[in-house]
Amino acid sequence: MLTPGAYEDRVNLQTRLLVLRIGAIAAFGVLAISFWLIQVLQNRRYEELAINNHLRAIPLRAPRGVILDRHGQVLVQNRVSFTIGINRELSEDLNQTVEMLARVTGADVAKLREKLEKHRREPAFRPIPMIEHATDPQVAAVRAREFELPEVIVQIMPTRTYPAGSLAAHLFGYVTEINSTQLEQPEFAGLQAGALIGQAGIERAYNDRLMGRDGSRYVIVNSRGREIRDLPDTEERPVDGQRLQLTIDLDLQRALEAAFRASGFNGAAVFMAPGTGEILAMTSLPAYDPNAFSGGTDSDAISRWLDDKLRPFQNRLIQGRFSPGSTFKIPMAIAGLGERVIDPNHTEYCPGAWTFYGRPFRCHKEGGHGVVNLRQAIEQSCNVYFYKLGDRLKIDTIHAYAEKLGLVGTTGIDLPGENSSLVPSTEWKQKTIGEPWYPGETISVAIGQGYVSVTPLALATMMATVANGGTRVTPHVVKAIHNGTDWTPMPPPPDKGRIAIAPEHLQAVRDGLWLAVNGAGTAIRGRIPGRDVVGKTGTAQVISRQGAQAAAGRTDLDLRDHGWFVFFAPRDNPQIAGVVLAEHSEHGYFAAPIARFVLETYFAKQAGEPLPPLPQDALPPFWVPPARAITTPTGAGGQ
Amino acid sequence: MIVDRRLLPHLDLPLLGAVIALSLIGLATVYSVTMDPSTGQPGPEFWTQVYALPIGFAALLVCLVIDYRTLTQRSLFLYGALVIALVAVMYFGVVRGGSRRWLALGGFTLQPSEFGRLAVALVLAAFYGESRRSARSLFELASGAILLGVPVVLILNQPDLGTAATLIPVYMGIVFVAGLRTKWLAIAGIVGLLLTPVVWSYVLADYQKERVVTFLDPSKDPRGSGYQQIQAKITVGSGGLFGKGFGAGTQSGYGFLPVAHNDFVYSAFAEQYGFFGVLVTLGLYLIVILRSLDAARLAKDRVGAFLVVGILSGFGFQVLYNITMSAGLAPVKGLTLPLMSYGGSSLLATLAGFGLILNVRMRRFTN
Repeated sequence: MLTPGAYEDRVNLQTRLLVLRIGAIAAFGVLAISFWLIQVLQNRRYEELAINNHLRAIPLRAPRGVILDRHGQVLVQNRVSFTIGINRELSEDLNQTVEMLARVTGADVAKLREKLEKHRREPAFRPIPMIEHATDPQVAAVRAREFELPEVIVQIMPTRTYPAGSLAAHLFGYVTEINSTQLEQPEFAGLQAGALIGQAGIERAYNDRLMGRDGSRYVIVNSRGREIRDLPDTEERPVDGQRLQLTIDLDLQRALEAAFRASGFNGAAVFMAPGTGEILAMTSLPAYDPNAFSGGTDSDAISRWLDDKLRPFQNRLIQGRFSPGSTFKIPMAIAGLGERVIDPNHTEYCPGAWTFYGRPFRCHKEGGHGVVNLRQAIEQSCNVYFYKLGDRLKIDTIHAYAEKLGLVGTTGIDLPGENSSLVPSTEWKQKTIGEPWYPGETISVAIGQGYVSVTPLALATMMATVANGGTRVTPHVVKAIHNGTDWTPMPPPPDKGRIAIAPEHLQAVRDGLWLAVNGAGTAIRGRIPGRDVVGKTGTAQVISRQGAQAAAGRTDLDLRDHGWFVFFAPRDNPQIAGVVLAEHSEHGYFAAPIARFVLETYFAKQAGEPLPPLPQDALPPFWVPPARAITTPTGAGGQ
Repeated sequence: MIVDRRLLPHLDLPLLGAVIALSLIGLATVYSVTMDPSTGQPGPEFWTQVYALPIGFAALLVCLVIDYRTLTQRSLFLYGALVIALVAVMYFGVVRGGSRRWLALGGFTLQPSEFGRLAVALVLAAFYGESRRSARSLFELASGAILLGVPVVLILNQPDLGTAATLIPVYMGIVFVAGLRTKWLAIAGIVGLLLTPVVWSYVLADYQKERVVTFLDPSKDPRGSGYQQIQAKITVGSGGLFGKGFGAGTQSGYGFLPVAHNDFVYSAFAEQYGFFGVLVTLGLYLIVILRSLDAARLAKDRVGAFLVVGILSGFGFQVLYNITMSAGLAPVKGLTLPLMSYGGSSLLATLAGFGLILNVRMRRFTN
């Protein structure tokens, strides 16, 4: 039935069908190659994208290491705190939920609304934290209404806690969430926003050991971000932070804080074992409460402390620098004896003042001490004796001895932020001021004034060096570390040098210091019968006498001088040494009783006797000078 | 036996086998992506598909036993029925997702536009295949275009750009094999290029323009329409060589891949069975297309050949477009994958179409 042209049609049709056939094969070939490119060659990339889509890591916080005292008493630990939140997905009417929550917990409705607004843009599946660090009654109230308020949930958060409040706050430091600057520092590599890190004190210095390692738990989430199920096999357990055992003795620490607070003064104090450099107690006042940073961040209190002119965040023990005043007579005596400029029996005549390089330098005692030897000069703190000694010693010799005793540079304590102490030298003055040293300046240095400026801890290290016979130990606060299975003693930091002090020289200085406390000296209030406390008071000038006159009545700052008391005990077999600095107490006379109370506690504990009761108010007998904005100095410094 | 026994040896079993295999693979994929992970039970879409399959094969059988020439001779009636149904949709249609596409018939709904391909293929095959007409003159091309245009406009009006677009390849395939001059082909290409800006400005709706823009740069709108394209690519790419296993797709299982049982069923399939699964299914689709072209080649008359090419062109275009889209390589458009995607009407129409293709080959020696 072929019509004309049908054959041609047929051929034409076959050709076109062949074109379609080739086209189809080519198209499927291209498709196969495309899928191969995506599925095989780029598989890794897309697989990762797919995993990122549906896997979420939920951090499991590692509890920070507990901090214990040298006898195992807990100083710093963790507690659970409760956060009351709202699960928006379960709430039918958020306004009503917030009102109910406020009524039930007694919280402020306006504040709760504010919180809600702040978190409103977050994904709905994430509960909004409404009340952080909720009180037990609040938690109980919410839990009791589980059925009426199913959308209100209670979450448990681990919180760092300092059971003794502001006790040893500067030693412990505090923790906060890592800030954006710290996130970029190599020290904190691998940490994520929200991680808690130590910001001061031990929390900061030993942060890497205390932190442990956070673990994580993986969950599968759907495209809306809601958790579908756990992946228990992939859970990485958190590694607990390591426990630290400090050299601190909690009983001594308590005694120190109570005595210092009872005295009414601010300042700093430290008690250490002179043979090892272990710190037994330390404080800096005024202090902050580290709980304010972790126990429901109390921003009001924090900003109050930040604005406080007394600077509660400063650790005066290692960051404050003061002139040592008469306590500097101790390194002066050792330098004079060591250089054979004097011997223990060397005497000087003190008429009450002496003139050097055309300028009169006064002793604090009107009419003078008369003829005094070294022991008496230390006992009575005779300025003229040490002026004359300083004049003969030269500044660089004084600098060298001060350095060997621990008064130059840092002590090397294992706490962050320590400041350097300074005892001047000709080289130092040329370098920093660009002037030569004038011999007249040495006279002020001889009684711990002029350029001399030391931290209380440096002064304590000097006392420890004298107590142990010449070894400059490195103060430290950590005794042992628990690595999860057992305690490993922390190797004590190496000593920072040794100075050879002849026994008869050492004895002469110790005798003088014993007399200062137990004889006719200025430190009589540090005396404990039978314990042979030795020590020395000193006055740290806050401003020069001329400055005080100029500032009279024109400032609200307290410009009264600071009082020092440096000590060790017992004289012949020293077990404890230290420093108390009472700010604006004018005289070491008021610092000594603080030390005495702590020493009494120390010896009572050693003997297994009951500890003296903690003072509630002032230490008896105690006299607080009437508050005055400005003191016009009447006598020379250095008593 | 309603079919002449002598015809049975000419039934194209490889083609039928590939069609059955693809529809079963599709069913399994719909099962896996609608399954509730907590109960292990498949969703209602699966059961719809289970009921649609035997109905579809029944339709295939019906289209197989009636001589295709009986159908082409009555193609104008069928075409008229389609137009009436589409007009009925305009007035009585069920609205879903902003489109009026469905007619409610008792307990279930039917989508007449899905049968447009069959009706248009039948009427055009009859128009160009009977007598001495061919697609050589402009008048003949235009007459065919009008036959195509009426249902296309009605379907565009629903609106359903995707389904309307699948009718055009039916016309193009038939006029191509019906002797369209190469000259006209070239002119059509040039006119098409020139018309692109006009279409862009006056024809495409904003949401359609947006889809094209985000296809060219999905990162412009990673949460909106670019999202589907990005997720489709991740879904396919994460499947790797052997896939994540049956029901173990994370992209489709956790809702990152949208409409995984329908438009993106092939992405979900590629995620579960990987590149090997892709090769197997691409091979099956290619077998279907090549065996169908054989049917056209072997057809005893032009009507049969044109009918096969018409049905196949619509099918092939939709398969190629959907698979390309499912790998994130084409703009996202509401086009399903024939044989594998969820959708009763689509399956019914597709299987009926293969009934006709098998029909043409089976009757190659009859008079």
